[in-house]
Amino acid sequence: MRKTLAATALALLSVQGVSAETFRWAGTTDPQTMDPHAVNSAPVLGFLNNVYEGLMRRNQQMQIEPALATSWEPIGSDGWRFHLRKDVKFHNGSDFTAEDVVFSYERATRPESDVSSWFASVSSIKAVDDYTVEFYTAAPNPIFPDTITNFMIMDKGWTETNNSAVPAKDAENFATRNTNGTGAFKVVERQPDLKTVIEPFGAWWDEATHNITSAEYTPIQNPATAVAALLSGEVDMINPVPTQDVARLSSSPDVKVLEDIEARVIMFGFANQAETLKYSADAGKPNPFKDARVRQAVNHAINVDAIVQTIMRGSAQPVSQLVSPAMRGYSEALADRPAYDLDKARALLAEAGYADGFSFGMRCPNNRYINDEAVCQAAVGMLAQIGLDVELETMPVSNYWPELRAQNFDMYMLGWSPGSFDAEHPIRFLVTTPNPEKKLGSWNFGAFSNARVDELLPQIQSEIDDEKRQALLDESTKILQDEAGYVPMYVQALLWGARSNVDLTQRADNFFMLRWVTVN
Amino acid sequence: MFSFLIRRVLQAGLVLLIVGFVAFSMFNFVGDPIDNMLGTERTQADIDRLRAQLGLDQTFVVQYWKFLANAVDGNLGVSYRQGRPVAEIIAERAPATLELATVSALFAVGVGVLLGIYTAIRRDGLVSHIIMSVSLIGVSLPTFLIGILLIYLFSVELDWLPSFGRGEVTDLGGWTTGFLTSSGLKALILPGITLGLFQMTLIMRLVRSEMLEVLRQDYIRFARARGLSEKAINFRHALKNTLVPVITVTGLQLGSIIAFAIITESVFQWPGVGLLFINAVQFVDIPVMAAYLMLISVMFVTINLIVDILYVAIDPRLRS
Repeated sequence: MRKTLAATALALLSVQGVSAETFRWAGTTDPQTMDPHAVNSAPVLGFLNNVYEGLMRRNQQMQIEPALATSWEPIGSDGWRFHLRKDVKFHNGSDFTAEDVVFSYERATRPESDVSSWFASVSSIKAVDDYTVEFYTAAPNPIFPDTITNFMIMDKGWTETNNSAVPAKDAENFATRNTNGTGAFKVVERQPDLKTVIEPFGAWWDEATHNITSAEYTPIQNPATAVAALLSGEVDMINPVPTQDVARLSSSPDVKVLEDIEARVIMFGFANQAETLKYSADAGKPNPFKDARVRQAVNHAINVDAIVQTIMRGSAQPVSQLVSPAMRGYSEALADRPAYDLDKARALLAEAGYADGFSFGMRCPNNRYINDEAVCQAAVGMLAQIGLDVELETMPVSNYWPELRAQNFDMYMLGWSPGSFDAEHPIRFLVTTPNPEKKLGSWNFGAFSNARVDELLPQIQSEIDDEKRQALLDESTKILQDEAGYVPMYVQALLWGARSNVDLTQRADNFFMLRWVTVN
Repeated sequence: MFSFLIRRVLQAGLVLLIVGFVAFSMFNFVGDPIDNMLGTERTQADIDRLRAQLGLDQTFVVQYWKFLANAVDGNLGVSYRQGRPVAEIIAERAPATLELATVSALFAVGVGVLLGIYTAIRRDGLVSHIIMSVSLIGVSLPTFLIGILLIYLFSVELDWLPSFGRGEVTDLGGWTTGFLTSSGLKALILPGITLGLFQMTLIMRLVRSEMLEVLRQDYIRFARARGLSEKAINFRHALKNTLVPVITVTGLQLGSIIAFAIITESVFQWPGVGLLFINAVQFVDIPVMAAYLMLISVMFVTINLIVDILYVAIDPRLRS
């Protein structure tokens, strides 16, 4: 009897021991799907990067390093050749070969896929042998490897057997809730919106640098609840930490706040082409924002340092261009923001013929970016100082995008995080003249247009030489700064909270990689 | 009686149709789901294609009609966010909400009646005054604030109870329950109190005023004159007569406990239908929103129907 009791007690103890090692983390949203090609959004790609792998992966500093491909080189100017890693196993035990890459490419470029834009430049793909794959591009594409780091490889056999060869958007298939990657972790339990449990994959090709035996992700929508759960030790890590809770969490000995700069640049845009103003008392009058001097005046009137210090409580970094300094192709030479100078702003307005100011409508989201509404309200006050009377309307993001697409604004707020981590990305989406056929300028809602930038973009996209490419990027950035097509303000901060016994790496793309987690 | 029933059922059906119509006309204002379903690198062609595929390019009247036609077949559509059948998702989430609502209702009735009696009998006592004032504060604070305060006190400071979730649940073949594990029971306490607090105060005040009214009646005075014990007077004679309105109100409040669980569920990350609805609104997940609103209105309409029928059964004057 005593023996059984002791055994039971021991069993109980060991059960507790196991559960204590389960690493728990929380974010605000649940990844919608476990299918790596169905939804191109940060929560999905960030989570799945722990489970699936691409040909390349990014290290702690966001630099590209080999993953499923051991090396790659351009095939002259025709495309890229990738040499694949041998002896890589999927979680179900099947082997990884070139066939899986070709299959994944075909799956990811289907109309149902949400990631097909990564392959816009690719004309065809060829498996040379079991461990060599060639992607052919219509024009030279120097940043192709950067573009496809989140392109995750699925197992052909597994996906086809389970009738999931087509990514599912408005229905479900096997790959929506089940996974079979090559990554460091495999999904062992998936309950949408409740929890997702992953465990290390024993046959992973790389050496594990973490000490996790099991990890559980739970979405916690309410930021205050997430903070409480972290403080009480029910979760080991939360992302994000609300800016107003940073000071309080930092003062607790049990938890720490990790802060870094994200890739997302927050900016204001204008109706660059509209003939008339659409909102406020001056609606119907000629649109002053067609004049670059007026846009420049706004640029000088917005006190970005004050916004960063007061509203963002120091956790953001002023920026002069559409990408953060951590991105490839950032223009070092053009790093200075236009000075906060009200006299200059007033002079520019006077020069443009608006010495007495004017009024207009500004649109802002209120649940998309960190403190977005507060930043817009602050901007309204700052613009009032140079005689601009702003009528601000804020709305939830679900209503916001349709408004932007319908061009219902005189001035608006936008945040942009380049998916390829390269300065070419915002030029393609935000700066070139909108052209649906060529898939250009799809987020250029204010229709900014500059013939020279349009000319530069294809050159930037195909220039192999890094120095020449940077010169082209610098030229484009200079034009945008002179024209003030956008007013870039600051790079958003990443704010994560963790228990003090947890060591982890915060990467600029806001992806939480469990393979860099150590629980002490 | 029969024609009355038919009339009432038809009226209930009409109410449901109108609720659905209003709901669908409102969905346009919630926003556009397309942006949530497609990544940033989408093209206008992708947007148009998905819009057509989901039938969002049609007027809300057509969308409503399609929803009704499918609903008659028992098909509530597929969630835009999860890609799963809505009926399946709701069935998965309903136990969490129903268990929470049950605990809240028990708390509200149990504590509410007890405190109501106490404050009626000791109407001038110090404790009664404290209870009445505190209850006033409790009822005037918004639910999410009460929830957060409870979390900070009992989870963060005292570390007694969990701050979110349902704890460990047991699956009883399609019904997940938190009643069978200690962590599941613990997890029910804070959200149960948060959700039931308002109803508890309401019942307490109702019982108190009814009780005060009854205690003034002649038969209580005669009972006292007969020398019955205070206990017998208060509980056997007075309480019984106060319960009729309390039962009516409680029945009606049960519906609103389920319907207003939304805030409590989002504070405690309680995986019920209310949280599902909040998620659906944020994502503009129209099939889920539609199904939830229709289910809630079916529930209210049914409760009202039953109350109406009960009135007729009880009061013969309504039958003519």
